Amino acid sequence: MTGDLLYDVRNATRSFRRGEATINALSGIDLTIEHGEIVALVGPSGSGKTTLLQLLGALDRPTSGQIFFEGRDLNALADNELADLRLRAFGFVFQTFNLIPTLNALQNVEAKLAPTGVLEDELRARSLALLEEVGLSDRADHLPSQLSGGEQQRVAIARALSTEPRVVLADEPTGNLDSRTGTEVVDLLTSLSEERRHTVILVTHDAEIAEKAHRSIRMQDGRLREPTPA
Amino acid sequence: MFYLRYLRSELVGRRTRTVLTLVGLALGVALVITISGLARGLDRAQKTALNPLSAIGTDLTVTLSPQQDTGGFGRGGGGEVVQANQSAVTDLSKLGKPGTQFVHDFFLPGTQLTFPQQQTAKIASLPGVASISNGLVLSAVHQEGVVPKIVAKIKAGGQQLDIRRQIKPPTAAEAAAIQACFQKLGVGGGPQSGTQPGGQQGFGGRRAGGGGFFSSPAARKCLPARMREFRARITTPQQTLKQVVSPPQTNIKSSSYTIGGIDPAQQSIGLVTPSQLSRGRFFSKSGGREALVSAAYAKRKSLKLGSTLDLNGTRYKIIGLVSPPLGGQTADVYIPLAQLQNLASQKGLANVVLVRATSSSDVAKVQQEIEQALGSGAQVASAKQVAASINGSLVDAANLSHDLGLVLAIIAAVAAFLVAALLTLSSIGKRVREIGTLKALGWSQRLVVRQVLGECLATGIAGGLVGVVLGVLAAAAIGAFGPSLSASSTTGAAGANDVLGLGQALARTASTSVSLTAPLSLSLLLFGFALALAGGLIAGGAGALRAARLRPADALRQME
Repeated sequence: MTGDLLYDVRNATRSFRRGEATINALSGIDLTIEHGEIVALVGPSGSGKTTLLQLLGALDRPTSGQIFFEGRDLNALADNELADLRLRAFGFVFQTFNLIPTLNALQNVEAKLAPTGVLEDELRARSLALLEEVGLSDRADHLPSQLSGGEQQRVAIARALSTEPRVVLADEPTGNLDSRTGTEVVDLLTSLSEERRHTVILVTHDAEIAEKAHRSIRMQDGRLREPTPA
Repeated sequence: MFYLRYLRSELVGRRTRTVLTLVGLALGVALVITISGLARGLDRAQKTALNPLSAIGTDLTVTLSPQQDTGGFGRGGGGEVVQANQSAVTDLSKLGKPGTQFVHDFFLPGTQLTFPQQQTAKIASLPGVASISNGLVLSAVHQEGVVPKIVAKIKAGGQQLDIRRQIKPPTAAEAAAIQACFQKLGVGGGPQSGTQPGGQQGFGGRRAGGGGFFSSPAARKCLPARMREFRARITTPQQTLKQVVSPPQTNIKSSSYTIGGIDPAQQSIGLVTPSQLSRGRFFSKSGGREALVSAAYAKRKSLKLGSTLDLNGTRYKIIGLVSPPLGGQTADVYIPLAQLQNLASQKGLANVVLVRATSSSDVAKVQQEIEQALGSGAQVASAKQVAASINGSLVDAANLSHDLGLVLAIIAAVAAFLVAALLTLSSIGKRVREIGTLKALGWSQRLVVRQVLGECLATGIAGGLVGVVLGVLAAAAIGAFGPSLSASSTTGAAGANDVLGLGQALARTASTSVSLTAPLSLSLLLFGFALALAGGLIAGGAGALRAARLRPADALRQME
């Protein structure tokens, strides 16, 4: 714990309209996360873990409240600025991998790196190096459909790390994998992030995986179940 | 470049969708090109075939129709026409010796009266008339064959007839008398009396002898009166009869065509002008023994440039093929006016006057003036009226193309556009989650839209090109196998003026056949191409923008 404040979430709520009804997915979230932390968001389905993760990753905006990232109020930023933040500061790993089906493993990594303006040769070299780190350099030209679930998630991890983000956000990264592969994937994710001193925020309902985090934040019904130690 | 590789992967990776979009676009573009081309083809065919007078440099045509009570201008009324047309009655005996070959062309004025050429000067002097040209259009009947035998000689008589009669055998008393008479003549063994068979045999035996004994006058006197003339031979008298054969036996072949005389000195206005020349050359100004033949007639009769036509002993060389405009006054064969006047014994006469007004706005006024000047027998037709008299499938198709062709082209264009738009939208609809992923990776809205538009552009260009090729092929196929449209126009026909009942028989029908083509132009091809691009780009842009504006969280949530 370095003591550098990365996130400061103040009374954040997120509600959705479903026809006439309003569903409060998150209500009154107060939360701080420090740089370099590995945080697990745990809780039953529908407790608001994914919604909170999306707010932290600037994929969504809170209905009310504020989310400060590195001192900047995300809600005050324009769409383009959020996109740039996602590109350079965040890396996502999804439960369903979300690889582009028509691109091979290498190109999927390049898809994240290319918008940063990296030139062709460096783009390829850096992407290949990342694939090598996740142990898939021999699968570079395979399409996602030709890869196993574990392999696809490793490509997704390489993709998330490609722009050297400050935060890696993983939404149930093991949800579609068997437990052994899931453990391997999470180990890979945490070890690579610790090497690089990336902050990791991990949504899971697997207690074993949550144990690998420095801190677990429990959620229920859109609220934090216990106050988090600062 | 990563984005181009992504674009290629996307198009190749989703091959089925790409091909479907491409084919949809291509068909739409091809349809637009083909239908528009077809409408243009019809329009063009109509312009050449249905706008007859302007093509021959004239605004009005003036003709005279027979009337019961003709005004002073023409050469007379109904009787005149009947008389003129009677020259077609062939006097077979004047064609030559029976059995020899003959060729003859008869020229008939049809139902149009001729008027003296100098009188057309009256039209020329009317105000508003820029120039006139005289023409003579005649129906011609071409006959060839063997001069028939008209009078047959028949020899009759000279036959010998034998007549026989059954005669009752002589009674006993007669037999005795005959015997006595014979004996008196010193002939023994005469016919025996008594048994009939004996008597029969007796006669029979002598008959075989050829009538020697009984033929002698002395012996005949011994016979009773009823037996004297039982046998006779008659020879009928010989005579030669001359008889007119009706109908005469002949193998004359008759075919009809129309022939027009034009003034070779006036080439800007006339029944045909050099602008209708499809092959060869026009008359020289001096006008030799030269003929122009309409392309349709030449085809029918297998005539070529350089072939000769024999018109009652004068040989005309075919120097050009023309496509005379329909309507007004067309003919199959054209020769210089003066020569036709000679051939048809119509010296100094014309039956069509072509009139050009000084300005197009004067046409109606000039038409009125001529009608007034020439009286009730004159028919003054304007280009509009002539065009209206033309009928046939070409006219139907042209009307169709005006009304329906435009509608069809618009429908095809809209359909092509919609197909492009819907296919693009549906393909984007299936990619919302992918777009959400791209946005989660940090792609800006602009970058996402650019990528999708790039794909639409590529599909649009490919689909447009394929469509253009298909359209060109379809147009070529129409040109090669397409139907022929015909237009025909009847002149000199019946109508209200058919007082003599000659109208139908002498009416000249000119027809032209235009094969349907779908001419294409670069602008048409570009239009079709642009349509495909626009459809793809507009729909792609709108769809991509809509998807890219979603918050990534919302986009990712779709279809999860």
